[in-house]
Amino acid sequence: MKPVEIIDIDVSYGAKKILEAVSFYADRGEILGIIGPNGSGKTTLLKAMSRIVAPDSGEVRLSEQDLGTFSFRDLAQQVAVVPQEISISFDYTVREIVMMGRHPYIGRFASETTRDLEICDRAMRLANVTHLAGSSVHEISGGERQRVLIARALAQDPKVLLLDEATSNLDISHQIEILNIIKGLTVDITVISVFHDLNLAAYYCDRLIMLKDRRIYAVGLPGDVLTRETLNVVYGIDALVKPHPLTGKPYILPTYEYAAKHHPEQGVHVICGGGTGSDLLYALHTEGLQVSAGVLTVFDTDHATATALDIPCVTEAPFSAISPDACSELGRCIDAAHAVVVTAMPIGRGNIENIRILEDYQNKPIILLNDGGHRSFRDFTGGEAEAILHGLLERGAVTAERIEEVLQILKEAV
Amino acid sequence: MSRTRLIAIPILICVLLASMVLAVAVGPTSVSIASLFSSETAGMIIRDVRLPRVIAAALVGCALAVAGTAMQGLFKNSMADPYIIGTSTGGSLGATLSIVFFAGAGLPVFAFAGAAITTFAVYTIARQGGKIPVETLLLSGVALSMLLSAFLSFLMYTSGRSLHQIMFWLMGGFWNVAWDDVFIAILIPIGCVAIYLYARDINIISLGEEDAIHLGVNVERLKRILLFASAFLTGIAVSIAGAIGFIGLITPHVMRLIVGPDHRILFPAAALAGGILLVWSDTLARTVAGDMPVGIVTACFGAPFFIYLLRSRMRA
Repeated sequence: MKPVEIIDIDVSYGAKKILEAVSFYADRGEILGIIGPNGSGKTTLLKAMSRIVAPDSGEVRLSEQDLGTFSFRDLAQQVAVVPQEISISFDYTVREIVMMGRHPYIGRFASETTRDLEICDRAMRLANVTHLAGSSVHEISGGERQRVLIARALAQDPKVLLLDEATSNLDISHQIEILNIIKGLTVDITVISVFHDLNLAAYYCDRLIMLKDRRIYAVGLPGDVLTRETLNVVYGIDALVKPHPLTGKPYILPTYEYAAKHHPEQGVHVICGGGTGSDLLYALHTEGLQVSAGVLTVFDTDHATATALDIPCVTEAPFSAISPDACSELGRCIDAAHAVVVTAMPIGRGNIENIRILEDYQNKPIILLNDGGHRSFRDFTGGEAEAILHGLLERGAVTAERIEEVLQILKEAV
Repeated sequence: MSRTRLIAIPILICVLLASMVLAVAVGPTSVSIASLFSSETAGMIIRDVRLPRVIAAALVGCALAVAGTAMQGLFKNSMADPYIIGTSTGGSLGATLSIVFFAGAGLPVFAFAGAAITTFAVYTIARQGGKIPVETLLLSGVALSMLLSAFLSFLMYTSGRSLHQIMFWLMGGFWNVAWDDVFIAILIPIGCVAIYLYARDINIISLGEEDAIHLGVNVERLKRILLFASAFLTGIAVSIAGAIGFIGLITPHVMRLIVGPDHRILFPAAALAGGILLVWSDTLARTVAGDMPVGIVTACFGAPFFIYLLRSRMRA
């Protein structure tokens, strides 16, 4: 028996369609995340499940029973909602607010029993607000108030807990604290939550529903729903999806460029290493230039950047000196490029060939990027590298202090 | 609901009873306890004039305070009260119609009908797409109440009534209260108990309508019940003493500071405090300057209080 089942619902506000042909279900005890851009209908979908809005067609089923057949009281015993925030006009105490969660269980002519008090105490303990019980809801912080709302929802003893971006207005530590509380709930409670933060959704949810333009675009495990392609189609961004190094869950790294420019006619080769070239590679790539890099060893940070950006890269085995093969491939890359940029990388016996090769390219524009003096060439070759770089400068290589300067020089060189 | 706050209730009961005894004793004709049994006139003044008047003032105070508390909870707004929503003026207009066209026959029924119709009219004007935004409700209440007072004044004026009578319906007074009115006022505690049964629901709806639905409150039904019950209480209050302002605004506000916002204790506290406030306002009205409308007294401390609330809300 599915705790929640949505069968082909359409929802509209007046003439405006908000959701179309949405169908999904939630399993008992799972955390189901709803994601999607602003205006894709996430909150409305949640409202349809708590009967704030009624679908035009289709059905919302709760434990195989149509939502519309529940009385308000019965529904509140099954489904609890934690809103994004709440403005409380009057000065209630935390305990009074949590006790309101028992309202659907207390008759009109009755008052709270010891059992109601026990359930409230337990809910406050779970949400870690016991110490605030006597405080006014106006005296406590936003994170604490959100936990109070969770305690109130738990006091309803619900089968289904709906969260509407319940942590969006909080800082990262409170977000994690609250989502850990939610994750720690018993397997009897099914959680359906709207998320804005995709990384939090990827970590905390068992499954995700991705909405786009009023419809479900993808459903499934976070790793299946959150891909470079779906993020591109649904959010219109370019982002890398990597496994989180500790949790193994998908982790989204936006490239922070809305739509990359494209100048394939201009080629640049970057000689870098040890992480000194990552920001430059990224800048050149987003400028739309035809970039190549190398020679880099395969565990180098700059190699990881180049791979992620799909930049062709001449590689060498880890901890090895540059082989003649790699050297000739590097030569081909430099031949194809209009200019070469050398970053302020450390130079040792292993990678000195990277710059020695430049002595053969008398007419190629060469830019030495010193990055504003934050990083300077470190010579581990006993002066040999220093001598090569000095020679390059004498033969017309230019220095740049900032990446913007490099871009400027490249622009003028074409 | 803490025990210390519950103590407020017996204290308020004592203060109300003491106030009523004192108010009966105070007046232009001084009446001592001893002369009550010896003098025929003194006994009559107490029995037929002051006693019904003080009881009526206490009950009308209760009615207005409870109606005000219910509206403030319902609209999440501590500035709402039956006078501002237009319910009181609607009641007055109903009473006026009864006086002008039916020689005062069925006046309480007319007052209740006027209050209820006005409340539902305001509710309908303010309602959009199944929801009632607070701002439009307050504004349409104020606007409708202005229109109704104009009708009322026009009716009374053209039918040759004195300004004094017009003032009575617009500002309230207890000068022609008799035992008949007290019997009608017995309906007030019944209305108060009916509203009290929804105290917990009002606690919850004061958090917001969506939240209240999530907590199992049938919001639309609760709104209708509360608006109807407040109109009932206000209509009865108006039929006895005209439209008295600010009692329903001040008492819930002050009592909330003393007993907290839980309506299960706020309702009885506000009801008692409303009684106390109106008993003393009326005593002041009849001793300071002849027998002026009691609304003058309540407006004198109520309107500055309203302005103070407005200022502190703007600062917040």
